[in-house]
Amino acid sequence: MSKIDIKHLTVDYTEKKKSFTALKDVSFSIEAGEFVSIIGSSGCGKSTLLSILEGINTPTDGQILIDGEPIKGTGADRGVVFQHYSLFPWMTARKNVAFGIKQVNKEANRSERLKIADEFLDKVGLAQFKNKYPSQLSGGMQQRVAIARALAMDTDILLMDEPFGAIDAKNRTILQELLLKLWEGDGSKERKTVVFVTHDIDESILLSDKIVMMTTNPGRVYREITVPFDRPRNRSELVQTTEYNTFRNKLLAMFYSDIADKIGEEVML
Amino acid sequence: MTLKQRYLRIVHALFIVFLLIQFLPNQLTTETYAGYAVWFVVGVEILTLLVSGMIKKSVSLNLFVDIVGFVYGLLIVWTLATAKFNLLKPALFPPPGKVFRQFICDYDKILVNIQSSIGIILQGYLLAIAVAVPLGLFLGWSARLGSAATYISKFLGAIPPIVYIPYGIALLPTFRSVSVFVIFLATFWPVLAGTMSGVMNIEKKTIDSAKVLNVNRFTMLFSIMLPASLQQIFIGCNQGLTVSFVLLTSAEMIGAQSGLGYYIKNYSDFGDYTRTIVGLIVVGIVIVAISFIFNRIQKFLLRWKA
Repeated sequence: MSKIDIKHLTVDYTEKKKSFTALKDVSFSIEAGEFVSIIGSSGCGKSTLLSILEGINTPTDGQILIDGEPIKGTGADRGVVFQHYSLFPWMTARKNVAFGIKQVNKEANRSERLKIADEFLDKVGLAQFKNKYPSQLSGGMQQRVAIARALAMDTDILLMDEPFGAIDAKNRTILQELLLKLWEGDGSKERKTVVFVTHDIDESILLSDKIVMMTTNPGRVYREITVPFDRPRNRSELVQTTEYNTFRNKLLAMFYSDIADKIGEEVML
Repeated sequence: MTLKQRYLRIVHALFIVFLLIQFLPNQLTTETYAGYAVWFVVGVEILTLLVSGMIKKSVSLNLFVDIVGFVYGLLIVWTLATAKFNLLKPALFPPPGKVFRQFICDYDKILVNIQSSIGIILQGYLLAIAVAVPLGLFLGWSARLGSAATYISKFLGAIPPIVYIPYGIALLPTFRSVSVFVIFLATFWPVLAGTMSGVMNIEKKTIDSAKVLNVNRFTMLFSIMLPASLQQIFIGCNQGLTVSFVLLTSAEMIGAQSGLGYYIKNYSDFGDYTRTIVGLIVVGIVIVAISFIFNRIQKFLLRWKA
C-alpha cells in the first residue's frame, strides 16, 4: 500500500454555465517518505490536484487514499505551505507556529508549544525575528515561518503549493537548500512524504525523488520520472555533473515536446 | 531638538499677554474671580514647560503647544470681551474666572454626573458589542443566512435609534434602563453590520489557510474570523460610540435626574449660564478623553497591520 494513492481523479468546473475539465483521470501513487514534485505549465491542474489533497476541494470523480483511507476534507495528517497568505497577519511569527502546533498537538501546553515553535524558527534561521508580525517580514522570511510551522506540526505529509514561486532568484536558491537540508535530516527520523507543486524544472530535480509531469487541457499526467541522484544532495556539486545536465535536458525536451504536441510543431533542442 | 526649538515659542508670549491683560481695569460691576483663571493658566504653563522638556518628537511638541496656544488665545479674547471691555451680556457670558471657580465648587457634583453618564453608556455599549460581535461572526459565516441578514440589519439599522425612546419608555420602568436600551440599539446595528461585512470580506485564502490547519468551528470564528474582520468591527464600534453620546446627552436633557445632559439643561433652565458653560466644557473633555482611549485600544489591537 502506498502512502498516497490518487485514483482516477477528475475535476470539472462550471463557471458562468460553461464547464471545463481541470483534471481528467489522473492516477499515480506516492510512497511513504518520498519527495514528489508535480510540474507543469500553468493551467495543467497541478494546484487543483493539490487543493484536493489539502481537502479544500472535492473531485467530481475518483478519489485519493491516504494509508488506504479515502480523504474527507482537511486533516491533521497533512501540513500545508501556500505561495501566499499561509500566515495569519495578526499573529507574530512565533504565535503562527505555535497556533499550528496547537491544532495537531492537543496535549502540549502553551509554554511547550512556544518552546517547539522557537526550536523550529531557529531551524529556519529566524530566531531573532520570532516576535515580528508577518507584515514586518520579507516574502522569503514569511515562507520560512510557513515552513517552520508545517514542520513543527510534525505531520506525516507535507503539501507545498509553489512555495517559492514569488521569491526572488537568490532567496529561492537559499530556501530550496534549506528545505532540502531540513527534509533530508540527519537520518535520525523518518522523512516526511512531500508533494511539491512547482513550474521550475531545476527546483524539481534538486528536491525530488520523483517528478510527475502534467499536461494541460485537460490536466493529465504526462510522464512520471524517477530522479536518479543520491542523497544527501548538494546543488553546486550536482549541477557540475554530466549526468545532471543530461537528465535536465531530457526533462526539458519532454516538457517542451508536450507543448509542441499541443501546437503541432517540432521543437528543436 | 535644541533648547531654542524647545522653549522659544509663541505660546509663551501668549501666556505673558494673558497675565498682562489682567492689569487692565475691570468694566464689570460683579466679581470676576480673575484669580481662578490666572491660577489655571499658570498651571497649564508649568505643565507646558515640563512637557516641552520631555517630549521627543518635534511634531508632537508642535501639536501640543498649538493646542495650548489655542486655549490661551481663547482665554485672552474671552477675558477681554467680558471682564475688561464688557462687550457681551454678562448673564450669558460670564468671565473665565467665574467658570473656573464654578468648576471647582461643583467638582463633586460634576464627577457624579460624569459617572452616571459613562455608566449608562458603558453598560449599553459593551452589552451591544458583546452580543453583536459573536452574532455578526456567526451570521457572516453562514453565508446564506448572511445575505438575508445583511438586508434585515440594514433596514433595522437605518431606523434612527432616538425614535425608540418613546417605545422604550413604555416598555421599561426607569430612565436608566431606557437609556441603556436605546444605546444598546444604537451600537448593536452598526457593530453587527460591521462584523458581518468584515467576515464576508475575509479573503478566501485566509480562510483556506485556517481550514488546512484543521481548526474547529470555535477557533475559526474567534481566532481567525474575529481578528481578520477587526478593522470593520471597529468602524461599527466607532459609529456606535458617537451616536450613543448624542443620544444619551439628548435623553438626559429630556427625562433624567442625573448625567451631564441633565446638568446642562437643569442649570440653563434656572438661567445659570456659568454652570451651563461648565457643563459644555465637561462634555467636550469627556468625549475627547473617551475617543482618545478608544483610539488607543484600536491602535493596540490592530498593531499588526502594516
